[in-house]
Amino acid sequence: MAKYSEDFTPQEMIVVAGSRTLIDNKVVFAGTGLPMVAITLAQLTHGPGIVPVFEAGAVGPELSRGLPLSVGGSRTTYKANYLLGLNSAFELTQRGFCDFGFIGGAEIDPYGNLNSTMMGSFPEGYQKPKTRLPGSGGASDMACSCERTIIIMVHEPRRFNEKIDYITSPGYLDGSPNARWRAGMAGHGPYRVITTKAIMGFDDETKRMKLIATLPGETIKSVQEATGFELIIPDDVYAFEPPTVEEVRLIREVIDPKGYFVRKKIKE
Amino acid sequence: MYWTGLSPDEARQFLANKDKSKRDKRISLKEAVQKYVKDGDNLGIAGFVNARQPIAIVHEIIRQGRKDLTLSYQSAGLAPEYLAGAMCLDDSKNSIKRMELAYMAHEAFGISPLLRYMTENSLIELEDWSNYNMSARFKAGSMGLPFIPCRSPMGSDMLKANRAVVQDCPFTNRPIMLLPASHPNVALVHVQEADIYGNCRIQGPLFTCPEIAMAAAHTIVTCDRLIESDDMTRYPNRISIPFFAVDAVIEVPYGAYPGNSGGLYYYDEKHIPEFRGACEKFRKGDRAPLQEYYDKYIFGAENTTEFINKIPLSQIQYVEKIEPGIRLDAAYTVLGS
Repeated sequence: MAKYSEDFTPQEMIVVAGSRTLIDNKVVFAGTGLPMVAITLAQLTHGPGIVPVFEAGAVGPELSRGLPLSVGGSRTTYKANYLLGLNSAFELTQRGFCDFGFIGGAEIDPYGNLNSTMMGSFPEGYQKPKTRLPGSGGASDMACSCERTIIIMVHEPRRFNEKIDYITSPGYLDGSPNARWRAGMAGHGPYRVITTKAIMGFDDETKRMKLIATLPGETIKSVQEATGFELIIPDDVYAFEPPTVEEVRLIREVIDPKGYFVRKKIKE
Repeated sequence: MYWTGLSPDEARQFLANKDKSKRDKRISLKEAVQKYVKDGDNLGIAGFVNARQPIAIVHEIIRQGRKDLTLSYQSAGLAPEYLAGAMCLDDSKNSIKRMELAYMAHEAFGISPLLRYMTENSLIELEDWSNYNMSARFKAGSMGLPFIPCRSPMGSDMLKANRAVVQDCPFTNRPIMLLPASHPNVALVHVQEADIYGNCRIQGPLFTCPEIAMAAAHTIVTCDRLIESDDMTRYPNRISIPFFAVDAVIEVPYGAYPGNSGGLYYYDEKHIPEFRGACEKFRKGDRAPLQEYYDKYIFGAENTTEFINKIPLSQIQYVEKIEPGIRLDAAYTVLGS
């Protein structure tokens, strides 16, 4: 049997990329949606020791009773090691118990600042947005106070903008030296941006987004064209290994058989 | 600075004057809403997204009609969506004036159509916070503190449009964010188990339910079942909300349906999309499905029992069957499928 899958979808690719970015034995504070799927895949493959934390209160559960439909749902609590509520979960991030925050967003800028609040003019148009999004939830807390942040999102030009309408979850703010520290944040900011087209990180000096790897079917050019701002392109960009047959099988048959998060159509 | 609901001093005075005796607090849900929920109130909505949302209480509020409400919550889905739908159908009967929130949507089930409708048409006023902020604001209220310091989301635009104050910490000299306490007029809480005095035992995540109940001036509790008080006090440190923080307790089985009540019933993956779909159609200009939904399930039902009677029994049995949450009191976990 072939090692690599030949019929994977962009959503499956992003889940695999997210999963492989996670490091075994780390504490990962998980946002809703794709992060939950990626953590489950990582636990079933290279990261059985990953400790998921959910903002509604569950710490270190087994995600073996079906994909949670919510970070507050009962499936996040199965065999949890600690279970109180929202305050206790976010206190863990402030104290430094959470190595990674794993979040999504609707819109991102070159410094990894995320918008999940509103499209339109801010602050003038705050009470009458062009498009209202769900709001921060816990993402902004994770972005500030987890030691590092992993961001997962669909890659299309309208979502990657030099300037975003509203900063919900702070990345490196304006990219100036120690901007996060000066703003009072505890955590160290974005580590990776995982999209349907690429894996990206941030330049140590400028804090601007840089390309690390292109996903199967993509090139440096196609990734840049799908990004609404200029990416830093280092010399050592590499081609990311495609999803294996086993990874795709786990996503389809074990993790999200009903396709709640993975089968959602991506508008291209 | 302004306060919605009670100011910290008002909240303290209110509680000082309150009857805190241990007494039988059972009344009907109808009476509880009549007695405690007034036009213009700030309502603290407990639960988290669509888990243990106070659906039965919200349906009763809608049947009676309340106007100019402020809703305070961290993340919620069904409760504010139901109130928003009632407002969209007839704002002379029900209306939301303002929401202090971190998130309104339905996670896997999709965005909130009526949050979009209300905000994009400028029908309500919003104050955005993070989940931790709203949770910590209730916690400050429950601790009797006027504010609480918090380290997130420093650097976010949220701080430009809410009442948070950033100042240098007097001890570290680094910037820190101060959040005003939240003291809602009424907390709306659904739990799995309560006794007749209002002691509550929550199964699964506590969310921010204890903090909201302790911070609010009044608390209405619905429970999936009332239990013997002796069974409750046998495990004092399993009591999540103490009796004197509760004003009314009502046994309402399925009071969080179609949402999740840990250990008892899972999200109804048929009914939530049915309601959300009607909201989405309303947003796109087709009012009829939402009106039909309310006429059938809310106005066409006297209470939650009549609402549940309209759902096929097999659908109810299914959400009970697949619920994996632990029931600590029963010392078992439901067998997996």
